[in-house]
Amino acid sequence: MRATLLVAGLAAAFGTALLQITGVLAAVILNNPVLGDHETTLLMLNITAYVFIVIAVYVSGIVTTNTVATVVAGRRRTIALVRLIGRGAGEERARIAREGLLVGALGAVIGCLVGTGFAALVAWAAVVAGLFPAPGYSYLNAVVLIPLGGVVLTTWIASWAGSRRVLAVRPTEALGNAVELDSEPAGGGTGRLVVAVALVALGAGALAAGIAIGQSIPLGLLAAVAGGLLSFTGLTMEAGRFVPPVLRLVGGLFARTQPGRLAVENTLRHPERSSRMTIGLIIGVTLVTTFAVTMQSFRDFIAVAQRAQPEVYQGTSQVLGSITAIFTVLIGLSALIAAVGLVNSLSLNVLQRTRELGLLRALGTTAAQVRGMILAEAAALTLTALALGVALGFLYGWAGTQAVLGWIKGSPGFLWPGVPWGMLAGQVVAAAVLTLAASVAPSRRATRVSPVAALAVD
Amino acid sequence: MPTNLASPHVARVSGLTRSYGAGASQVTALAGVDLALNRGDFTAIMGPSGSGKSTLMHIMAGLDAATDGRVWLGEYDITNFDDADLTLLRRRRVGFVFQSFNLLPTLDVRGNVLLPFELDGRKPTESERQWIDTLFDSLGLRDRLTHRPHELSGGQQQRVAIARALATRPEVVFADEPTGNLDSRTGREVLRLLADAAATHGQSIAMVTHDPVAASFADRVVFLADGKVVRDEPRRTPEQLSAIMLAMETEAAA
Repeated sequence: MRATLLVAGLAAAFGTALLQITGVLAAVILNNPVLGDHETTLLMLNITAYVFIVIAVYVSGIVTTNTVATVVAGRRRTIALVRLIGRGAGEERARIAREGLLVGALGAVIGCLVGTGFAALVAWAAVVAGLFPAPGYSYLNAVVLIPLGGVVLTTWIASWAGSRRVLAVRPTEALGNAVELDSEPAGGGTGRLVVAVALVALGAGALAAGIAIGQSIPLGLLAAVAGGLLSFTGLTMEAGRFVPPVLRLVGGLFARTQPGRLAVENTLRHPERSSRMTIGLIIGVTLVTTFAVTMQSFRDFIAVAQRAQPEVYQGTSQVLGSITAIFTVLIGLSALIAAVGLVNSLSLNVLQRTRELGLLRALGTTAAQVRGMILAEAAALTLTALALGVALGFLYGWAGTQAVLGWIKGSPGFLWPGVPWGMLAGQVVAAAVLTLAASVAPSRRATRVSPVAALAVD
Repeated sequence: MPTNLASPHVARVSGLTRSYGAGASQVTALAGVDLALNRGDFTAIMGPSGSGKSTLMHIMAGLDAATDGRVWLGEYDITNFDDADLTLLRRRRVGFVFQSFNLLPTLDVRGNVLLPFELDGRKPTESERQWIDTLFDSLGLRDRLTHRPHELSGGQQQRVAIARALATRPEVVFADEPTGNLDSRTGREVLRLLADAAATHGQSIAMVTHDPVAASFADRVVFLADGKVVRDEPRRTPEQLSAIMLAMETEAAA
């Protein structure tokens, strides 16, 4: 539950900080008679803030669902026991959802306070630095109830969704030593698949239309954004169908050693779980890449257009640079929430495999081999998320640029996506750091498992 | 490193003690055990719950460390082996059959049997491959090689574990209640396979059990009570073994 608390707290802190800072900026802008066109600026500021909050809360929902599902899988025996003694499956599930509601509320309140504190600190620093006059803004603002409520509700729903498997626990599993149920179906039913495929097809069509429209008028972006959201939602729904094959492919990199092969098998053992583990990260990487590719393509476009009509495009590159930096930080936070989820899931998975690790140690697996196995598991998962996210990000980023800039003065019409090398390198480094961070605690725990644990009958 | 190369004993402990915890809550599992396993013998270690038989096996197999006393396995004095040395020892010199959870769920039958070789980073040699093929045939696993553990019955899983334990031709195979989870017919089958491995291939086997029927398959039965060896018998019938066990229980109660 610690991970759920952290995830809820992060999402709430992020949302609150963003809205409070937006509020401060709004106060500053309204107090300043020089800046023209208040309404549009404020609207854009608010829309941007809410888009980022929705993304962060969405990612936190997926992470929490996965955490709860993993916890439930680990508690099967205990759940079976209380079922045996006579508690209803529905009751047990409601209990888990209630626990989620409580933890979500606690995390949201803490996050709300932290976020407000952060916003106040930033505003104070800006005033001290003389960036703007004291805004006269009250932080006791009802607007914080929006991220607060959103996070609590999401955590509650996610706990409910994640505890679905409680219903499948048979009371008899508490008796005897039932074998761990290995087969969790990947992907949902046919109905969900049809919806997902329809969404992807519709989204792809809208993206193509956006690009086509964007060649002549600036409205292409609207169609492209809608297309991007639709197709990405479709992909997220059926992640269980395409993540495992990619995972297997990436796993080929680790197949040279026995621990590496075992690691890949471990990640593929619960395809649904691994997909959920990676999907949050895929979303994060896709967003960051989309943004970076769009910005790089912007620069390429502008550079080409600038050569054609230099007088129109003076000083645009500095503005683009600072926008890129701010947005990358904002998007990066969703990736951070996803990373917390991955670290936690991996820890739980290792915890649940105590006997298996004991067996491996008894059969002569060295501590270093166990560490290598867990590192390879983390690496396979992060690499898969990185590969899929970068591929999707390039696609979306390129489509977005075409849709936005195809029409501008001196536009080359069609351009290959710009490759944001710096950003890619940054993501690879971040993935490497995440892999190491995610495997440190589980490795330590795993190598401390005594081989005797495998022989114990429980 | 002191060795006992020419010894007829494949594993030996002397003055072995093992205690857990400290101070008032200290528990003594083994209180001075002297025992030597003969090469090629199928030895059963019997005793009531809490007699220390599992602890003894864990220490002899390099899974746990002694508090005091010495432990030999094959030509090695393993008393002061560190974790890395013990790990290699288990991989190359020891085979294991447990009561349950013997196999890795992510590997098929062949993968499970070949695991000790793969952990060593090598392929089985030609003669080892032939031996493994023989094991697959004699244990009736030939048409199950690509099955995962969850597709096998308990008896089949135990036969896979036996194949894995015998595959590296270890000094000793340690079996911990190998029939504890099986019905009596399947259990007998497993015991016959173990006895056969000792009789035909000279494989040394040490089996921990509290079941007199299981122990009756062994060439020698060692009785443990309160962390000490209390009796050492040659092959006995289940009835005789039951009687000895019963007598031990009554003595303990008196």
